[in-house]
Amino acid sequence: MSLLAQIDGVVAMADIVTATKSVLFSDVLARVAALLALGGVGIYLMLPRGEKNRSQRWLGGGMATVALVLFATAFVSPVVSQDGGRTLPITLLWPLDKEIDDATCWTFHLLAALSLASAAMMISSRNPVYSALWFAMVLLANSGLYLVQKAEFLAAATIIVYAGAIIVTFLFVIMLAQPQGTAGYDRVSREPLLACLAGIALSTALVGAIHFASKVESTPGAAVAANQGRGTATPPDTIVTKHLAQSEPASKSWKIDHERGHVLGLGRSLFLDHFLSVEVVGILLLVAVVGAMLITSHIQRGTPQTTGSMGDRAST
Amino acid sequence: MSESYPAILNNYLIVGALLFTLGLIGFLARRNLIVIFLCAELMLQGVSVTLVGFSAHHGTWAGQVFTIFSLAIAAAEAGIALALFVVLFRRGMSLDVSLWQDLREENLPPADEAPVPDEQIDEQQWPHLTVAGHLPARADGIQPTATPLSKPTSQPQRPVEVSRG
Repeated sequence: MSLLAQIDGVVAMADIVTATKSVLFSDVLARVAALLALGGVGIYLMLPRGEKNRSQRWLGGGMATVALVLFATAFVSPVVSQDGGRTLPITLLWPLDKEIDDATCWTFHLLAALSLASAAMMISSRNPVYSALWFAMVLLANSGLYLVQKAEFLAAATIIVYAGAIIVTFLFVIMLAQPQGTAGYDRVSREPLLACLAGIALSTALVGAIHFASKVESTPGAAVAANQGRGTATPPDTIVTKHLAQSEPASKSWKIDHERGHVLGLGRSLFLDHFLSVEVVGILLLVAVVGAMLITSHIQRGTPQTTGSMGDRAST
Repeated sequence: MSESYPAILNNYLIVGALLFTLGLIGFLARRNLIVIFLCAELMLQGVSVTLVGFSAHHGTWAGQVFTIFSLAIAAAEAGIALALFVVLFRRGMSLDVSLWQDLREENLPPADEAPVPDEQIDEQQWPHLTVAGHLPARADGIQPTATPLSKPTSQPQRPVEVSRG
């Protein structure tokens, strides 16, 4: 029995090794890595590095924009479409799926481009006030992305809570601490080259994993064929599917039903399935408010700020 | 619903991953405490986009509920962190994160960071507003002056000149 299990394990290991090789040396991953490296070099040039002139920023912005446009439109991987078996040039970011209409497609791509470009401007801006305002732009674009996925409450909550409260709090603190706008340490970065290399590596790994995982999942014939080749006709009996089958709740509040109201369904799920979490988050917010008041009231008294005085306050 | 969004799920995951990566680059590279914290919020936004995409793909509320929780966590985090930044600024009179290198583990070599440039590169173009309109007359009959409040002078000032346009 154990020998059979070992043999099975060896076969599975060999499968994993061949699959890993086919992914690592594939054409798609090389193109994705090249595009992301172009974008990473653009971000590196955009980051503040104490330079005198702004031409490098413009060059970096241009490179990042070219990378973004190529990423959205360029031919990356030919995938055989499911209707008729034709080979369509399906790009990584631009689906040619028949079930998604053109309006949704265009809306998504405009909002995604706005979000990513605003994020790039946010991390490279010399003035923290501009960073905060670009982050508000990211939030607006993300709210639009939520609306595309029919998450209306989240779109409203993001604008109200994030852009309305959190960004304004950031701006208050910036105006309190740095009213003159830009400072010397805003014009230099620490290790921008290493940061961009880490970003290129991480984004290549993430995008490659997403692409290959979805390619396996989105062709329904492939998994069944692979299983039949190994002599099992049942769906793949992995840990994940077992866990999903066990953890499927019986209540109706779990599923999204667009016939009923959106906020009604979300509220039912929030207060039926996640009621304890809501209470815990409420306590967390209370603790955060009390903590913030304690920290800032400490400096208003004008006491010398040592760790000992904090300990004394906590003990009394 | 669960089967009709395979490709758009892919796109949402990629956008979320790229937002997360941009936040990571900014988190590692910038030196202003507030900008570093904004980049952490950007990483949270990337995760939120991913969760909303999964929620629509699977047809369950769980992703959206998680996003609401991450919104609440971000609010709590922002309150605490900004209070801490105010305290740190009162101590060091600067938001530079390099001032707080002594909070690291002991026996680590100091990071050699790029020196802060001394000269001000004047990127900022502040608008120049022209003085417009009358200052309202005070009730006690004293002519209003254009003297700033921070510099009180005993000399009588000439009335404020009014220019329009």
